[in-house]
Amino acid sequence: MRLKIYPEKCTACSLCTAVCSARLVENFNPSRSAIYVESLLPEKIVMRPYVCIQCDEHPCVESCPVEAIVEDREHGIYVVDKELCTGCGACIEVCPYNGLRLDPVGNYAIKCDLCRGKPRCVEICPEEVLKMVE
Amino acid sequence: MVGGYVGKILRVNLSSGKTSSEDLNEKWAKLFIGGKGLGAKYLYEETKPRADPLSPDNVLILMTGPLVGTTAPCASKYAIYTKSPLTNTFLDSYIGGYLGAELKFAGFDGVVIKGKAEKPVYLWITDGKAEIRDAKDLWGLDIHETDKRIREKLGDKEVKVAAIGPAGENLARIACITVDVYRQAGRGGGGAVMGSKNLKAIAVRGRQGVSVPNIEEFIKLTNEITKNDVLTEDNLWAKTDGTPSFLQMTQEGGILPTRNFQMGVFEHANDIDGDAVKKNFVRRRACYGCPLGCSNITRVKEGPFAGTVIEGPDYETLALGGSNCYINDVGAITKYNLLCDKLGLDTISTGDVIAFAMECYEKGLITKKDTNGLELTFGNVEAYIEMPKLIAYRKAIGNVLAEGVKKAAEKIGKGSDRFAVHVKGSEFPGYEPRGSIGMALAYATSDRGACHMRAWPVSNEVFGDMDPFTTEGKAQLVIHGGIGQNLYCAKWSLVICDFYAIGWENIARLASAATGWKLSVDDMKVIGERIWNLIRMFNVREGLTRKDDTIPYRIANDPLKGGKADGHVVTLEDLNKMLDEYYKLRGWDKEGRPTKEKLKELKLV
Repeated sequence: MRLKIYPEKCTACSLCTAVCSARLVENFNPSRSAIYVESLLPEKIVMRPYVCIQCDEHPCVESCPVEAIVEDREHGIYVVDKELCTGCGACIEVCPYNGLRLDPVGNYAIKCDLCRGKPRCVEICPEEVLKMVE
Repeated sequence: MVGGYVGKILRVNLSSGKTSSEDLNEKWAKLFIGGKGLGAKYLYEETKPRADPLSPDNVLILMTGPLVGTTAPCASKYAIYTKSPLTNTFLDSYIGGYLGAELKFAGFDGVVIKGKAEKPVYLWITDGKAEIRDAKDLWGLDIHETDKRIREKLGDKEVKVAAIGPAGENLARIACITVDVYRQAGRGGGGAVMGSKNLKAIAVRGRQGVSVPNIEEFIKLTNEITKNDVLTEDNLWAKTDGTPSFLQMTQEGGILPTRNFQMGVFEHANDIDGDAVKKNFVRRRACYGCPLGCSNITRVKEGPFAGTVIEGPDYETLALGGSNCYINDVGAITKYNLLCDKLGLDTISTGDVIAFAMECYEKGLITKKDTNGLELTFGNVEAYIEMPKLIAYRKAIGNVLAEGVKKAAEKIGKGSDRFAVHVKGSEFPGYEPRGSIGMALAYATSDRGACHMRAWPVSNEVFGDMDPFTTEGKAQLVIHGGIGQNLYCAKWSLVICDFYAIGWENIARLASAATGWKLSVDDMKVIGERIWNLIRMFNVREGLTRKDDTIPYRIANDPLKGGKADGHVVTLEDLNKMLDEYYKLRGWDKEGRPTKEKLKELKLV
């Protein structure tokens, strides 16, 4: 399972970041969400989310010096083990999809874990920007 | 502090250069919730009575509410609260975009700004702290450039910026504050208040969270409300069409301001309506937390203004900057919109003062000597498009028009006040009251002068089944209607967008879920009424009397031309009849002052 993004549909409402952070840190805080919405207006007409798409290459896994990005076999995805992560940012540098970010409070990498089954961002997005695909 | 709120108010004294943080007054929060209520309460308590709006004595407040930054649909707006330099009354002006949510993520429910900086400054707010920074290099720049430079200076593209342009700097009383580039606190001259304080911009970035008592239950509730009450027929027009679609409707209803309010229909309406705007459509944009996303980003496809990109134009701009100036080119209106956005002018008031000047010019009350040589006739795009610059920089006739239509008419004289269309100095928005008599009462009694966002009888009179030409039941409608003053007060205490037609039930459910207080429908109704009365007390304190609750000469004397309301006026007799009834229903005396009993009942004394 992975997320597919249709960036041209995004209106930058950021509801995805609100529900994501609610699950991860129990409050509404886009800065601590695994999904991040970029808006480049007015310089460019760009609005889109960035989130880990569970790519096949997963260079993040190889880049991690402490092997903190581990496989969740049940869901067939790679997730960050917060206990092991040192917040060095190597995975963030290497990700070609802008899929990871550093948590501003906890000093660990935030990586989407697809809510371990039913992603809330997909559910709440009013524009169908995000879809779960096999 | 309880849920929803972050519990802090930022205080900024621009005269001393000091900033400080204090706890949000919880007692006030319980009485007034947030947004309009809390903003009005802080303003009432902290402004020196009869302060000159453009003096350091005026206070500028930014206020959010307990839903802002959460998943509550269409509920992350916020507003500025101040004394208006255009009307000398209370002013609240609501803004979409992202800055309200960002302010809460930065750890503040609101900001109270006092005094005046010696030199141009901007305010930088981030994660519980604030700094007053030098803005010498920003002064004089347009708003888009200011926004960009601040983001570059701070090295963070996520910074949200509220800024003024040259119009605000030059104290134009119709200057707006622009936020997130395309969103405005348009009405009432808030931009001039910032300008008078030498405050060029407010920049905000936050990485803290907003909590509610039970976040899982809260999200369930907001999802349910979104599905069953937001993404429904009442509101979906905002998503599918946006406000430009109103133009077909007001044209059909005969209430589309045309030729400086001489007419109620525009022969070229097809050229500037929703379908015409759609031809330039690029994509939609939403404010934080909004599943509707009403904004249309457009790019002019052809003609002399091809390539112009803006978020908009919205209905009010199309009406006041379009038909009211007899402009039949969407490209020109789009360019006008962009100029106003960049220079920092309210597109409603600016359209109205240009239309007024056009009538003055055609009547020979002003000449080319006054207009910098412009042939300022109705529909002349070349002259029209030069006007925002003249107004913002106060050049030629622009210097007079920058004062707003009421003062401009006083300066020009020669009977021009007979077609200066305003209430309390605030120019009319896009709904002609001669075709919707309830609107005359709504405009006359609005707390910030002529305004379509305090009560909107158009909904019942033009698009519903009430008679638009009789006074019967209109006072009740304006106060207690589904789009009436009390509901709007409660709605904007939370701060929910106009375009979500929310009812009392969901107002109470959302308020309760965010705060953790058990707020019933009746509680929220009292809060709505309390807020309206508090603001009336503010305005009475500023010297407002019954004679200010009136309608302009043109509406009362000149029969409307064309359309369904052809030949109609709203007589002063009609107005007074509605006003008597209104005051009585409000529990106010015949002069429009809240009685002691009413204030006691509402816990305002």
